[in-house]
Amino acid sequence: MLLGYIQEVVKEQAIAEQYLIELFNELKATDIKDLMDSGVNQFLRLQQIARKKLSSFISTVEDCADQDEITTKKTINGNKFIDMMGHDQQLVFCGVHYHGKTIVKLAAELNKPEDTIRQLLRESFTIIRNNRNDTAVHQ
Amino acid sequence: MIQQYINSGILEAYVTGSASEQEVNELLYMKANYPEVNIALQELEKDMERIAQQMAITPPERTWDKISDTIDELILRQTSNPDQFTERGDGNGQNFTKPGSGPQYIEVEAESNHMKVHKTWKWVFIAVFVLSKIFLACAIYFYLENRQAQQQLKEIKTELQRLRR
Repeated sequence: MLLGYIQEVVKEQAIAEQYLIELFNELKATDIKDLMDSGVNQFLRLQQIARKKLSSFISTVEDCADQDEITTKKTINGNKFIDMMGHDQQLVFCGVHYHGKTIVKLAAELNKPEDTIRQLLRESFTIIRNNRNDTAVHQ
Repeated sequence: MIQQYINSGILEAYVTGSASEQEVNELLYMKANYPEVNIALQELEKDMERIAQQMAITPPERTWDKISDTIDELILRQTSNPDQFTERGDGNGQNFTKPGSGPQYIEVEAESNHMKVHKTWKWVFIAVFVLSKIFLACAIYFYLENRQAQQQLKEIKTELQRLRR
């Protein structure tokens, strides 16, 4: 799953694999301990580390707020949940999930109040939840 | 009030890593004190996994090999932080007692195959090397000179013998 996420950001399998290897290779003993703690969602923790690592790459890729990109679905190609989202929901979800933007930054970019951005993000998750019945999650 | 907090979108911002530091601290407090928040958070984490599962790719075998090698090394590197063992007692080695209850180590100076020398020796070694080359060149030169002289002497002797006859 993590490789899929990285590939969504970097768009190239070889680079994504390299990032995945580096991510694990650069894990410190404290990170591993953190991952092993009970109650920690290991995938999400690794995804956060990946997002942090990809931040330099993210700043070089096309912006989520690019209208053309959204129209052609270059950033979010193939994810059925994201395809179900509305335009604004896609902008917000893609911005935070794939481009690591904060709510404050997105609010400034989209010229909308922070509460609106949070609500759009929440709506995105509602869409995912409402359509999850046909998608099992590995426990 | 808790439901209002859950519905505010802060939880979603937290799981996507887009929440501010203040929001994170607030959420951690709420999570610790209100089970409803914790349950909602776990649901969102599952949602995040669902999205990831949609785009999941199986990594090639070679990728896992490279990763597992490093992880094995990291696990071996896990540390306890032992105290140094100190000897106490009558000085005859009869009464060894540990100063603490935790793990301890005895410092042993490892035998090294390397020798430390002063930096100035570097120039001495260079000079010795250069001089050895000069001596070698001289030796070759005088050897050749000597051989040539021997040859000439031989030729002269032959000439003399021829003239005597």
